[in-house]
Parts: sequence; structure tokens; C-alpha cells
Amino acid sequence: MTVFKAFWKILNKNKFIIIMYTAFLIGFGGFNMQTSENTTSYVATKPDILIVNYDEEKGITKDLIRYISDNSNIVDIADNEEARNDALFYRDVNYIIYIPENYNNDFMDGKNPKIDIKSTGDYQSSFAEMLVTRYVKVANIYQRMVKDEDELINKINDTLSKETEVEITSKLDTNGLSKAAFYYNFASYSILAALVYVIALILSSFKNKNIHKRTTVSKTHYRTINRQLLLSNCILSIILWLFYVVLSFILIGKVMFSTQGLMYLLNSFVFTMCATTMALLIGNLVTNKDAINGIVNVVALGSSFLCGAFVPMEWLPDSVLKIAHLLPTYYYISTNETLKTLEEFNFETLKPIITNMAIILGFAVLFMILSNVVSKKKRKIA
Amino acid sequence: MNNIIEVKDLVKKYKEVKAIDNLSFEVHEGEILGLLGPNGSGKSTTINCILSLLNFSKGSIKIFGKEMKPDAYDIKAKIGVVFQDVAVFDELTVYENIDYFCGLYIKDKEVRKQYVEDAINLVGLEEFKKFYPKKLSGGLLRRLNIACGISHKPKLIFLDEPTVAVDPQSRNNILDGIKKLRDDGATIVYTTHYMEEVEILCDRVIILDKGKVLATGTTDELKELAKIEEKVTVEVNDIDPKYIEEVKKLKNVDDVIYTNNVLLITYKKGKNNLVDMIDYLKKESINYNKIYSERPTLNDVFLELTGKELRD
Repeated sequence: MTVFKAFWKILNKNKFIIIMYTAFLIGFGGFNMQTSENTTSYVATKPDILIVNYDEEKGITKDLIRYISDNSNIVDIADNEEARNDALFYRDVNYIIYIPENYNNDFMDGKNPKIDIKSTGDYQSSFAEMLVTRYVKVANIYQRMVKDEDELINKINDTLSKETEVEITSKLDTNGLSKAAFYYNFASYSILAALVYVIALILSSFKNKNIHKRTTVSKTHYRTINRQLLLSNCILSIILWLFYVVLSFILIGKVMFSTQGLMYLLNSFVFTMCATTMALLIGNLVTNKDAINGIVNVVALGSSFLCGAFVPMEWLPDSVLKIAHLLPTYYYISTNETLKTLEEFNFETLKPIITNMAIILGFAVLFMILSNVVSKKKRKIA
Repeated sequence: MNNIIEVKDLVKKYKEVKAIDNLSFEVHEGEILGLLGPNGSGKSTTINCILSLLNFSKGSIKIFGKEMKPDAYDIKAKIGVVFQDVAVFDELTVYENIDYFCGLYIKDKEVRKQYVEDAINLVGLEEFKKFYPKKLSGGLLRRLNIACGISHKPKLIFLDEPTVAVDPQSRNNILDGIKKLRDDGATIVYTTHYMEEVEILCDRVIILDKGKVLATGTTDELKELAKIEEKVTVEVNDIDPKYIEEVKKLKNVDDVIYTNNVLLITYKKGKNNLVDMIDYLKKESINYNKIYSERPTLNDVFLELTGKELRD
């Protein structure tokens, strides 16, 4: 086991690299997890609305203004159309309501007067529109039955005051699972960077032209050397993975004992094996130690940014996600994101996860084959 | 006498260029064979072919009576190689490096420990066991390179220019170590372009040029080929050209070359040539700073055979 022992001695000389990437994971990842928002609470938002009233403030007109004021932020803008348009453009206001002259009388007469509006078109303005539409619809219904103005207003207010209680029910510890997804998404960078850097660096020593020559003329078969190197790399990867797993239990807590938590472990294990084969391929391709740092940045940082390890996938443009499909990290992070909201475990719900893992393993097989081809080509004598 | 290596009609072509051209030679058991030739003469290519690190176009190579092939691990077990370029791990100490390369041959831990210590003592690295290669000087690094190649006590050792860019102290240490290896029973193939080393070390020499054997023999046998008996060098301040012509006519003188205030006189034969020359200089009142006599070197042999210097 001469090669095996030498591998660990060389690793010992480069251990600071693993410590550095792990510290990065604990420091940056841990900090972000602690400061991430709790997504289980619900708070209704209020749009900014400007009411331009050309009617007298009485009856239905007065009540409409009160209703809108109670459910939005009423904004005060200078009384000219140019100022209103500017306010809309700069998003100082989401929605402008123009109540026409004689609105109250026309409404009570059943003429269904029209209310003009201007909006920014964003979701806040949609909410404002919903408020107005809701009031007018309820008022229209009661207007056909009730002719007394005060009674009509009372009926409208009775109906509109009935609020719907919203309760989000879920068996999931969404906060814990979000943290787990964040941790394991971020860990993809640390795992990939640490493994590619260390394995490529150690392999570059063994594959150094002169050392390779000396090894080739020795009595030890190259297959024995390659087997010992592969074993060392696998053990290193498993140790690194186990370390990150233990760290996740410490940082995230009890959610890691759930089925979802165990699925995170399985997914990260599959990814670690794939990262190991990728590192082996790079280690076989690159023998220049100075180039390894640059390659780690391209491979680990590049795939982490492209595949959503640092930035949520939904924020990434379609063109970027299309490229990300060519990288194993994408399928790893997709699974992490799916696990965040997965409640039922059956074949249908697990199908995309199994598919993702199969794709990652496919990548691992591809990297292994390419690694063997490169190694064989380099061994060929002139 | 047992032949440890037998090379017959070896040809190595790079496209249309012949790097080795019908090379044949043997290496006898227990000898140090020197492969001498200028850079590009085919020394390293020959070694690489013998070790199956390079394919060859034609010919045959036998080591220990068996055909050498890339998978001839039984033969490789008895071979040690020290390449021209230093091949050690920067991340391992002197001891760990030697232990690693020895471990590729010797599995028994106790035996290996002893072998590693022996190799360290042989090259004189006792004080540097825990040093990393980057902390070693060029000479010490070369010694480490040798220790890594011979620590498993091989029966056949290839040393490919092991003293390139080495300080005199390390060179002497290395040459002493090589002699000791031979005395301990190893057969050694030593390639170099330093003729002085060949003269000190080698029992037999093969002079190579352009992939061909120019001459083979002991150093004395080869010097016979030089067709000169003695060289006398006179360092003068200045000399009238008429004296140079006169020197040429002196007894036994074969040729006279005058460059940079140095008069080089070669003699084909004769005795007391140096005394005769001193007498002549006195008689003609020619002042000189230094005068000395030399036997012909392997460089003179090479010059005689190829018309160019070994270090050209």
C-alpha cells in the first residue's frame, strides 16, 4: 500500500485547502442560514392609491373612499394630471381612481356609473383593482334590492367586513427544510472545489512526467498504482462527505432526521461520488499544478453560479438554466429544491428525484470512462 | 563473462529521422559501462528503448537473458533507474521519498527501512532526512534522485547524466557512491557527456554519435585511437609567428595550434617531449607563464573520429 500511504502524506501537506473550503461553508453558509427569512408567516400588503374625486363626498361615494382608505395607503399628489402621471411612472402610486361627478346619484339611480382608473400594471395595482371591483360588485347587488342609502351602505359594509381567515397548514418544518436546502446547495460548491483541488493536486504529483517514468520502470504494475489511487480518492471523498453531513446535523438540527433530511444525505452522497470522478478526470488531464487553481474556479464557481447554488434557480434566466442542464450540479440542486416542499413519499413524487440522481450517476460513469481513456492515452509509449 | 544486457541492431526512428541507427552492444556483469556522446547523440533514447519506455522500430533487447517488454515485471524488479531529470515528490521529505520509491519494490517494512537507511548513507544525506526537496540545493537534490533510484539494491542500474549541474563536492560524492554500488556487485550503465567522469568511473566505454557506435573499449584502448601520444600546452604573453613555424619542425611534433596566447603542441610519439620544449623556449628566450603536458583524452578520440568536440 505504498501509493495509498504516499497519497495521505501528500494530502496532509495540502489539508489547509479542505479546511479553507469547509471554513467558507461554515462561515458564509452558516451566516446566511441564520439570517434567512422565516417564510411561514403571512402579512397582507397594502397598495398605494390616489383617489381623484369629482363628486361630492357623501353617500356611496364617501363610503367607497372610506373602504379603499381602510385597505390601502392613500397617497397625496399635486392636483394636476402631469404630477399624477409622474407619480405612476416613478411608482409613488400604484393605482389612481377617478370618481366621476354625480357618481353617488347616478349609482343610486341604478345607472351603474363608470369609475376610471390608471395603474402601473404590477401586482400591487392588481390588488387595488380587486378592492374597487369588490366594493362595486357588492354595492351593485344590494342596490337592486335596497333603495335606502343608509341601509344600502350598512348592507355593503356588513358583507365586506367578513374577512376570510387564512391559515397555512403544513406538516413540514418548512423553515428547517429551507435551511437544509440552502446548506446542501451551498455545500455543492465546497465539495466540488475541495475535491477537485485536492485530488487534482495529488494526482498531478503522481502523474508528473518524471515520477510517472520512474513508476513505469518499477516492478509495481500500473493497475496496482491506479487501484490504490482510486481507493484513496474514494475514502477521501467519503470522509469529506461524512464531515459535511455531521456539520449539517449540527447547523440545521432535527429536520435532518426526517425522511427529507435523509434524502438530502443520499443526494449529497451521489453528488460527492460524481464530484470525485470529475476530480479524477481533471487530475488526469492537468499535470500543471499552477493551472489547478484556475480550473477549480471555472469548474466549481462556474457550475455553482450557473446551477443555482448561490442564487435561487427561479431567479436565473432561461438561457443560463439551459446551459446548467449540461452540469451535474443542476440535477443535484433541483433535487434539493424539490425536497424542500415534498410531503408525500411515493413513486410519483420521488420519480423526479430518482431521475435526477440517475442523471448524476450517469455523469459519474461518463467522467470515469473519460478519465480511463485519458490515463490510457498518457500511458501509451511513443 | 555474463552479458546482463544484449542490444542487437537497434533502430529507433522519429518519422524519417533515425535517432538510433543499428546499435549493437553488450553490458557485462559487474562492470560500469559508459555511454559517451554529445547532446543528441542518442544516449537517453537508447536507455529509454532498453527500459521499454519507448517503442523501437527494429532490433532486439535482452536483459538478464530475457526479452525486455513493458510488462516484464520480473526484469524490472532487478533494475534501478536514475533519470536525468529529478523525479521526486515535493510534498514528501527526503526519507519519505526514498521510502516511497523503495516501497514500489520492497514490501517488507523492516527490510525496506534498512534499505532506505543504506541509500541515505550511500549518497550522504544523513543530515537531510527530514528536509523537503525544495529546501535542498541542486547537488543534494541530485543525490536524493540517485537514492530514490537505487534504494532497492538493484542488480542493474541505469544512471542517465546524474551529475548535470552539480557542485564539485556533490559530484565527488555521487561518483564515490557509484563506485561503491559496482563494488557491491551491481552492473551499471552510465551515460554522460563529461569525459572526465567516464575516465574515472567506467570499465568500458561506448562512444556514440548520431545514434551510432563510433568506438568501444576501455579508456586506454580508446585513447589509442586518438593517434597522438602527448599534448603540451604553453601559455605565453606573446610570440613571434616565426617561432610557431619553427616549433612545427621540432622532433615528434605533429601539429601546433596558437589561439589566445596559448600554444597547443601535439606529439604523435616520443619521450621527453616536455623537456625538449622547455629547452627550446629557453634557447629562444621565449617568456611563458605556464607549461604542462597531458595524455590524450576521450575528447581527442572523439575529435579524431568525428572532427568535432564532445561538447559541441
